[in-house]
Amino acid sequence: MSEPIIRLEGVSRVYDTGRVQVPALLDVDLDVAAGEFMAIVGPSGSGKSTMMHILGCLDRPTAGRYVLAGTPVSELDDDALAAVRSRSVGFVFQSYNLLPRTSALENVAAPLMYQGMGRRERLGRARAMLERLGLGDRLDHEPSELSGGQQQRVGIARALVTAPAIVLADEPTGNLDSHSGDEVMAILRDLHATGRTIVLITHDPEVAAAADRQVHIRDGRIAA
Amino acid sequence: MKAADLVRLALSRLGTGRLRTALTMLGIIIGVASVVALVGVGEGATRGVTDRLQSLGTNLLSINPGFSQGVTRTAGGATTLTLQDAAALRSLSGVQGVAPQLSSSRLVVAGSLNETTTVVGTTPDYELVNAYTTWLGSFLTQPELDGNLRVAVIGATTADNLGLGQSSIGSTISISGLPFQLVGILQPKGGTGFISPDDIVLIPVTTARELFVGTDSVRSIGVSVASQGQIETVKAEVTTALEQRHGIATATGQSDDFTILDQSQLLGTVNSVSGILTVLLAGIASISLLVGGIGIMNIMLVSVRERTREIGIRKAIGARGRDVLAQFLIEALAISVVGGVAGIAIGIVGSFAIGAIAGWGFVFNPATVVVAVAFSLLVGIVFGVWPASQAARLDPVVALRYE
Repeated sequence: MSEPIIRLEGVSRVYDTGRVQVPALLDVDLDVAAGEFMAIVGPSGSGKSTMMHILGCLDRPTAGRYVLAGTPVSELDDDALAAVRSRSVGFVFQSYNLLPRTSALENVAAPLMYQGMGRRERLGRARAMLERLGLGDRLDHEPSELSGGQQQRVGIARALVTAPAIVLADEPTGNLDSHSGDEVMAILRDLHATGRTIVLITHDPEVAAAADRQVHIRDGRIAA
Repeated sequence: MKAADLVRLALSRLGTGRLRTALTMLGIIIGVASVVALVGVGEGATRGVTDRLQSLGTNLLSINPGFSQGVTRTAGGATTLTLQDAAALRSLSGVQGVAPQLSSSRLVVAGSLNETTTVVGTTPDYELVNAYTTWLGSFLTQPELDGNLRVAVIGATTADNLGLGQSSIGSTISISGLPFQLVGILQPKGGTGFISPDDIVLIPVTTARELFVGTDSVRSIGVSVASQGQIETVKAEVTTALEQRHGIATATGQSDDFTILDQSQLLGTVNSVSGILTVLLAGIASISLLVGGIGIMNIMLVSVRERTREIGIRKAIGARGRDVLAQFLIEALAISVVGGVAGIAIGIVGSFAIGAIAGWGFVFNPATVVVAVAFSLLVGIVFGVWPASQAARLDPVVALRYE
């Protein structure tokens, strides 16, 4: 069997509030194989957001080891983590998190800008990605001029434009009506079909059902 | 991340909050404009005063009878200097010209016009010593002096007042009822204030003594020194020569019966005073620049707070701390530099206007512009760095959660 794309070994994340130590994740072991579509399911407060922050290299574990695509990222400094996020991670957020007052095209091109890619090339790639997601006629629209479903598709385009090792989708349908939500889930399944590794984080068992594998998390531990 | 992208990013942000950017910029504009304008005004004033002093004559020593201190014998009131003193000074080394002056106020008539003006009896050296240039005809000559001739050279204002011009050279004017031949008209020097140097009638000193004064004592002696470096030596020589001639022994406590005024002393004093004034004005103006800088810092801190979530997003999609730092720093720099350039333009126009109104002309000093630009850059960096580093240090997890 090939090396898993995500490997967590005894990962803990403890928040130190000064007076008390609050554990959000405790001794988590998890492997995700390349090309897998996995859902991390748990109620709010279960530690799934912390899980996403660690998987997405926005945060570091306080104990344990995290290897992403062969790189032991738990040992990296801030700049190196930023580089890993830039190359290897694509985020899809519940609240889209598009840059305000910035066109859809510039939003999708932004991650490439931080990679140092030239303007012409990155705008070309962003345009191609938006066209693939059916937003070819919305390139110059700012987020405030787009519907929720359209904004989330821009978000997905932005996550995919760097061809990342993993796509992390945090409640991607949480703010959408059921129709737009279905569309987004269809897109994620299509992506999976093209071989992308997708980690879906949700509290909703119905959404999680779209994934190949479900991992339940409760009180900072993997349940089953 | 490429530098061009950073600049584009920073500038596009300035465009989206135009009013706020403009108001922040206004602080810098006012600060830089007042620095540039006040320094320009200060330099213009200095230049104006210096020019006027220099138009009195270069490297000029002015010897007056009596003391400059004291109430009973004020300068000009005594009669201790004579034409013979003046003649003796002529032979000292380093002395370029000596011009004794016998002056009195006389009625001058030309045709149907008349005015009462200062008539000065002097020597041909007067032209050099007092930095005059002859415009029409010729200046006084030694033969005219030797022959006690009744000839006169008049100032530009006097010529104007009496309706005299090119065709009048050689004509006869009357001074105190006595006929004089007009031989020359001087070029205007421009007013140096209370008494215009252009409203003057010059006649040979010998003629003046004979007709108007009757004694050898002179009002003052102007001495022109060959070069600035020799002023001190010549001053000492003149003092020694006059003390000898007047039989004054300063060693035994006797004080001189004459006073030497050194123009470079005056010039130095004026320059140092106006230099202090310029620094003071610039200092006051710098305070407004400082306030403008604090305005930038304030608006940048607000901006970082407002855009916390945006910063979180940028970090999530791969921006490093230094990318965020650079973005905010360039924003602050753009505000301060654009404001600085606008301020320089306004400041130059302002100092030009003030100079024009005050009449001392306009001094453009490129160094002021360089300093102002450098200063506004510095303001941008100093007051932008802290907010920008706040932005750069934000924890992406916290920033993304920020509402």
